[in-house]
Amino acid sequence: MPSSIIVRALGLATLALFFLAAFTPLPVFLYEMITVPVHIERADAIVVLAGGGVMLSGQLTDSSLRRTVRGIALYRDGLAPLLVLSGAEGRTSESAARSVLAGKCGVPDTAILASSAGHTTHEEVAALQPLLKARGVRRLILVTDGAHMRRAMGLVRDAGFEVLAAPVSEVETPTRPEPRLRLLRAALREGLALVYYHIAGYL
Amino acid sequence: MTPYMAVALTSLVAYFIAVKRLGWRPYDLGRALGRMAESLGAGVIFAVVNLLAAAGLVLGLRTLTDRFFSLYSLDDLVWLAVSMLQGWAWGLWRDSKDRRTATRPGAGATVS
Repeated sequence: MPSSIIVRALGLATLALFFLAAFTPLPVFLYEMITVPVHIERADAIVVLAGGGVMLSGQLTDSSLRRTVRGIALYRDGLAPLLVLSGAEGRTSESAARSVLAGKCGVPDTAILASSAGHTTHEEVAALQPLLKARGVRRLILVTDGAHMRRAMGLVRDAGFEVLAAPVSEVETPTRPEPRLRLLRAALREGLALVYYHIAGYL
Repeated sequence: MTPYMAVALTSLVAYFIAVKRLGWRPYDLGRALGRMAESLGAGVIFAVVNLLAAAGLVLGLRTLTDRFFSLYSLDDLVWLAVSMLQGWAWGLWRDSKDRRTATRPGAGATVS
């Protein structure tokens, strides 16, 4: 039966992809295809995009914490006079929690701009655009996860800014099967998100 | 690589037990693996359809209600496992239909 041959071929192809992903560096190549290399220079602002919000305990999620710390480190290196901390509203505001952390790490209140608007990257950038324009920002360092950077950079560039990439690594280059599969998952997820953003006309 | 060496070893032991003790034919292993690939393929089809339906549902709910529904809710491995179970059940169901057809009087090959 031709249909069962097609289904069987699909199953064999899936098995082949599974073993290639688990036991070869294929996920690393796929991940590198969607990431953007680091390019950091002096800019008008450091923009840290939202990263999963705040947990019920009130602590930032791992992703949010990694991005925030990277943004604070860049500020402390003197790469920009303004640190923009974006984050979703929820039980606890992510941007407020990030601002508290930045303050504790020595970033003055006057150098912090918190924004809590937007649920998606598209909405987030749309909300940030007028705030950044009002502050005279033209060139910015964008901080987000490596896989998310290409999509976010496209949106910020389309919003009229010159963008420098400061991606945060989600994973070390994996040497074991499970982390490789996790990397493949991140690459596929972001690949689908890129397709969706193109179809929706956001990019 | 230790767990994978264990997998290889237990597969080999299971093969010898099946052939030497239980009298299963090695030829049937190829057919069984083919059936497994079919179930997996059916699971992948279920996964793609489930993903598209769930994404449509999330986007529809966003449009129809004031609440925000995140597409990141689809980033969960459980629905993938459930899709594979759907594919497996589909394959077993089809096999049981094939068996019933083969055991029906007058069906299948005749032996002279």
